[in-house]
Amino acid sequence: MVLAERVHPAPVKPVAEGAPPRRPRNVAYLFLGPWLLGAIGLTVAPMVVSLYLSFTDYDLFNSPRWIGLDNYLKLFGDDPRYLQSVGVTLRYVAWSVPMKLVLALAVALLLNSLRGKGQAFFRSAFYAPSLLGASVGLALAWRAIFDTWVDTPDHALITIVLLSAWQFGAPMVIFLAGLQQIPRDLFDAAAVDGAGWWRRLWSITLPMLSPVLFFNLVLETIHAFQAFTQAFVVSGGRGGPADSTLFYTLYLYERGFTEFRMGYASAMAWVLLVAIALITAVLFRTSRYWVFYGDER
Amino acid sequence: MKAHKVVGLVLGAVFLASGCGGGSASGGQTEIRFIWWGNDNRAKVTNEAVRLFESRNTDIKVSTSFQNFQNYFEKLSTEIAGGNAPDVIQMDYRYLNEYAGRNVLLDLTPYVGKEIRTADWDQGFIGSGKLRGKQVAMPLAQNSTTIVYDPKLFEAAGVKAPEIGWTWADYKETAARIQAGTGGKIAGSTDFGGTEDVFETWLRQRGKTLYTDDGKPGYTRDDLKAFWQLSKDFRDAKATTPAELVTTLNAGAEQTPMGKKLSASEHSYDSLYGGYNTVRPDELKLGPYPSDSKVLGSYRKPSQLISASARTKNKEAAVKLIDFLLNDPDAGKILGANRGLPANLKIREAVAQNLSGADKVVFEYQKSVDAKLGDAPAAPPKGDGAIYKLMQRKHEEIVFGRKTIDQAVEEFWRDAEEALK
Amino acid sequence: MKRTAVFVLCVAGLGLVLYPIMWLVSASLTPVEDLVANLRSLFPGRITADGYAGALEGAGGESFWTFLGNSTIVASGAVIGNVVSCSLAAYAFARLRFRLSGPLFAFALVTIMLPAHVTLIPQYVVFQQLEMIDTFVPLILPKLLATDAFFVFLMVQFMRGIPHELDEAAKIDGCGPIRTYRYVVLPLSRPAMVTTAIFTFIWTWNDFFSQLIYLSSTENYTIPMGLRLFIDQTSSSSYGPMFAMSVLSLVPIGLFFLAFQRFLVAGVATTGLKG
Repeated sequence: MVLAERVHPAPVKPVAEGAPPRRPRNVAYLFLGPWLLGAIGLTVAPMVVSLYLSFTDYDLFNSPRWIGLDNYLKLFGDDPRYLQSVGVTLRYVAWSVPMKLVLALAVALLLNSLRGKGQAFFRSAFYAPSLLGASVGLALAWRAIFDTWVDTPDHALITIVLLSAWQFGAPMVIFLAGLQQIPRDLFDAAAVDGAGWWRRLWSITLPMLSPVLFFNLVLETIHAFQAFTQAFVVSGGRGGPADSTLFYTLYLYERGFTEFRMGYASAMAWVLLVAIALITAVLFRTSRYWVFYGDER
Repeated sequence: MKAHKVVGLVLGAVFLASGCGGGSASGGQTEIRFIWWGNDNRAKVTNEAVRLFESRNTDIKVSTSFQNFQNYFEKLSTEIAGGNAPDVIQMDYRYLNEYAGRNVLLDLTPYVGKEIRTADWDQGFIGSGKLRGKQVAMPLAQNSTTIVYDPKLFEAAGVKAPEIGWTWADYKETAARIQAGTGGKIAGSTDFGGTEDVFETWLRQRGKTLYTDDGKPGYTRDDLKAFWQLSKDFRDAKATTPAELVTTLNAGAEQTPMGKKLSASEHSYDSLYGGYNTVRPDELKLGPYPSDSKVLGSYRKPSQLISASARTKNKEAAVKLIDFLLNDPDAGKILGANRGLPANLKIREAVAQNLSGADKVVFEYQKSVDAKLGDAPAAPPKGDGAIYKLMQRKHEEIVFGRKTIDQAVEEFWRDAEEALK
Repeated sequence: MKRTAVFVLCVAGLGLVLYPIMWLVSASLTPVEDLVANLRSLFPGRITADGYAGALEGAGGESFWTFLGNSTIVASGAVIGNVVSCSLAAYAFARLRFRLSGPLFAFALVTIMLPAHVTLIPQYVVFQQLEMIDTFVPLILPKLLATDAFFVFLMVQFMRGIPHELDEAAKIDGCGPIRTYRYVVLPLSRPAMVTTAIFTFIWTWNDFFSQLIYLSSTENYTIPMGLRLFIDQTSSSSYGPMFAMSVLSLVPIGLFFLAFQRFLVAGVATTGLKG
């Protein structure tokens, strides 16, 4: 089934004839009840508030003051650090997403050729870094291992990219699952035809895996744009040295919580939301050219 | 135009409604909340003092909470914004104006000298909690800028230890000799060019201030240029840390060049000595800043202050707790030197009687420079937090060769003006 | 021959990947003075268990077990909340017909994209109004209300893979949507729910920021908060206990992962990411 269709749910097959037509509709809202309550109470309202705040001057402690588009105008016209944070984030996304996915895929391929207990053991071991999150201890470990790199503008971002790539557990597990679903007979047939390892990877594995690859790509891209904790712990929340690790959300946080310009921070958040939504939409559009689904074979 | 007013009204109502939370009374008891930052030891003694307070004031219940410095302010701002401000708040000098300037701290002026006793205080020190004529906080304890140094390295290089009267040129020469003596492995000094505290001390030595009383810069572009040039002179003389070590300032002591044994001397605050002493036990000493004038530049800075929330429903109880922590002899005994030199001079004297370890080093340093210390200026204006980081950032750009000093000064000036607006 | 090569590669990769963790374990066993001098070395010589003693003792007057208990309550509550509520919502999106299905689902996805920092204060106001600050409710209730749209998405993917013939068979047997959910979709979605459970448990365990904001009393602190009580930039820090607690806090999530990992793979595999 096409992933794109799943994100925008395709109409489900009509219910069996004779079923009461209205009842499922109401029942649907019953199932959605908790989600709707949460969405309205805890998500929509705060989102609307933040959208409103993005048009105000709001210092956290006093009532917001309406200033129209000023925050947005300043973002693009008069804030070099904002542009710096956009640059840092784009570079980070461009490096970390492919690196993490390639690493996750490579390890998944490696593990996939193991069976049974061996695979279970190595799967757990390779997942271990992802258990760590972004703790203080990990930050100190990272600073110790990469020592002066962390404090040099040319290399600091690389260490954060490496940190993110190192925690490749989640996409690895998903790749592994995808790999295990590829029918063996496809490989056997290819082997009879005399196809080598690379050839099989290119002609069978990757196309068969493309829906999973796509899923990981979308989610990792969204996450990378919002990267915060790794950067925060490694640079101590500063985005330094010399703003070389000033991530978008780090700058947003600095504006909102240490400079008390929450209106400005909210504007930044909404620009990011729109940007991520656009990029996700573009990814979905391109998917039809390179994502192949089992039933099209 | 109209739509936004409606939205604004609704949201404003939500925010206003949220603004009236606070302590609740239960069973005739007043309940107040007191929060601070610090480590486990501080929590132990503070909680003990609070329990003593509760036993003496059975009608008041105090709930306490603590975080480390960084997390503390993340949480505090959210709580105040969310209408759940704690009643008694430990405050930082640099954050004082950010909060007081936004009217979230109670004006303690009516209580000073009455409910909050100040007879045994250095009167000049009380002023460090004053802003625009309002006493928005009381200083809890005192600290000062200092040079932390490794006496063994000074001895090995055959140079004199820091002492009152040494100059910046002396410092540069001393540091260069130490660095040369270790084959460049250990720097003679930690690069100070990105640290606003050093800049301030240096400015005061030249008869200027970091900020004027009305919150404008108290220095010119040329002063900043000269300061950054001084730091560059140290680098050129091979007397200070390499570029990649510059950025680790303002972190925990273990992250600084001194904590990592990569520097022989480092600008700091005496109150941070305990942190250094954890990673390098009994190895380091404290000395005065170098100065080219008669003025030392260091001053009696409040290492922490204590405030009440402007929205507290229990002003009397909050004020009572503040006075207790500041002035009660028994509380003083329990709290000791944990937050630095107590503000109440009588308590300070009593505490000084039985000190050991790191606290003793700090007290002795303070005694040695006391005659040279100035009174604290008014707390830095709103925007100083941003300027503090700006200075560090621009200095990094110089050190890594991305900007010339002139460019950095211009950009600093532009951004600093913006931050102070 | 080929198996040996794969095995060697795995072990080599493992060494690289696990190095920082070994560093952490080594740091937790090293006296702090030695650590500073030999930051990069894995075997600094002297070994001490003081860190672990300090970690178990805890901080702020509360022992490690208090933090562990609180983290377990929060993480377990979050797991139950996410599994129940996300599966309910996912069932509606995946299997039921209703007018706003498309737009609502698109909206659910958009909520993943807004940085959490700007909704933090409005959300705090909500819980403050409900007088739920300094309880575990603000950490668990959002999960019970399925605000983690990521997992709704994951489960929708899965449920779509379940053949519709099963629903219709159930219908013929007289099952309404509720019973179909209970007896057909739910049992078949078990692997997806285990996936959700594992990710929720690990992520909640490590989530520091919301716990910092909503919990105030030390007796309510969780492990990530307890860890940070050992570190203070303005006074002295206790690195031994901090590193030791970092290592100790890995044990429960490690065990959780180990116990459920075989379902994890099965779960994602059958999530129907592939056609």
